[in-house]
Amino acid sequence: MDHNQAVREKATERYLLNELDPGVRDQFEEHLFDCQDCALDLRAAAMFVEQSKVVLSEKPEAVPARVHVAVPAPSGWFGWMRPAFAAPVLALLLVVIGYQGVTNARLHRAANTPRVLPLATINLDVRGSEPVPVQAHGEHGFVLSLNVPPKRAYSSYKLDLYSAQGTLEWSDSIPATAEDSLSVVVPEIDHEPGTLVVSGITEAGKSDDLGRHPIELQSQK
Amino acid sequence: MAYFSELIQLKLRSRLNSPQAIDDVRQETFARVFVALRGEGGIRQPERLGAFVNSICNNVLLEHYRASSRHSSLEDEEDKDFPATNVDIFGAVVAKQMEGKVREILEELSEKDRRLLREVFLEERDKDDVCRDFGVDRDYLRVLLHRAKQSFKSLYLKSMEARPPGVAAAGKL
Repeated sequence: MDHNQAVREKATERYLLNELDPGVRDQFEEHLFDCQDCALDLRAAAMFVEQSKVVLSEKPEAVPARVHVAVPAPSGWFGWMRPAFAAPVLALLLVVIGYQGVTNARLHRAANTPRVLPLATINLDVRGSEPVPVQAHGEHGFVLSLNVPPKRAYSSYKLDLYSAQGTLEWSDSIPATAEDSLSVVVPEIDHEPGTLVVSGITEAGKSDDLGRHPIELQSQK
Repeated sequence: MAYFSELIQLKLRSRLNSPQAIDDVRQETFARVFVALRGEGGIRQPERLGAFVNSICNNVLLEHYRASSRHSSLEDEEDKDFPATNVDIFGAVVAKQMEGKVREILEELSEKDRRLLREVFLEERDKDDVCRDFGVDRDYLRVLLHRAKQSFKSLYLKSMEARPPGVAAAGKL
């Protein structure tokens, strides 16, 4: 066997894999002892095989696979900190923080932007059934101004706003003050406002009906 | 001597199971080669020293076979692991380097190729069975070994050049 034939036939690999017939194996060995290139080739391959046995005999974790190596999940309270769980959670937190930042900025701008709201004025000392006109303004509700009677018999006033369908849409209590007029912002409600029921609450907690005031929604021109 | 010692080791390990028998045949081979070299005529073709060593080794091996057939041999019952008999500190360092390089090469392989090598060389399964299980032919295995060897060879060459004269290759063959 000559060198070219040995290379062409991958004799080194076949020799190490015990694939050569006895006759061919003897020929290759005869060549091997005379050919430094083939001898080096065989010694390198044999060394690789022997070292591979050492490496491959280790636990699978010692040879990290490209595809996937199962990492034992840490148990206990810190189990959630493992990358497989923490990474998506961290990403979610970043999204929430980002969203909050945007939302807070928007709310902050909205809170600091001067806004004109429709005003509805109700005189509590007048028990009338005249509808109280409110300009329809869309999303911001309206301001309710209560002209309270000079007789300070109540410590607070309770306001219940019912829709035209009779469902309670909004309710609030405002403390009585020395002022003759109390103002409260009524937020946007889901349905068309119908009736505002005002009650006076005494110090003793007794509630007096101070009137039912129809609210009339008017289109803004 | 180290050069031929490794080749003889590789040659004998597929023929003899016992490390002791391999060592005996190797030593007897070298003893006869030295006798021939110191003889009056020496060897006729110095450039064919390798072939001469190989032929002496073949003769010693044949004699060993004959002797073994006459006497009951305990070879099969002996430990088949080859102890590292002459690896020095230098060799140990180089062996560590080689192991690192082999690890690197194995990491570059696919999981399938790594398992293939494991089952062939470490678990010593029948190669035809392994190839059938992995859906490859024998040539795939040869090429896989060839490529791995080529990647490893440069480091092996460096270690051969760096090692002191007379020191055997690091690791065990």
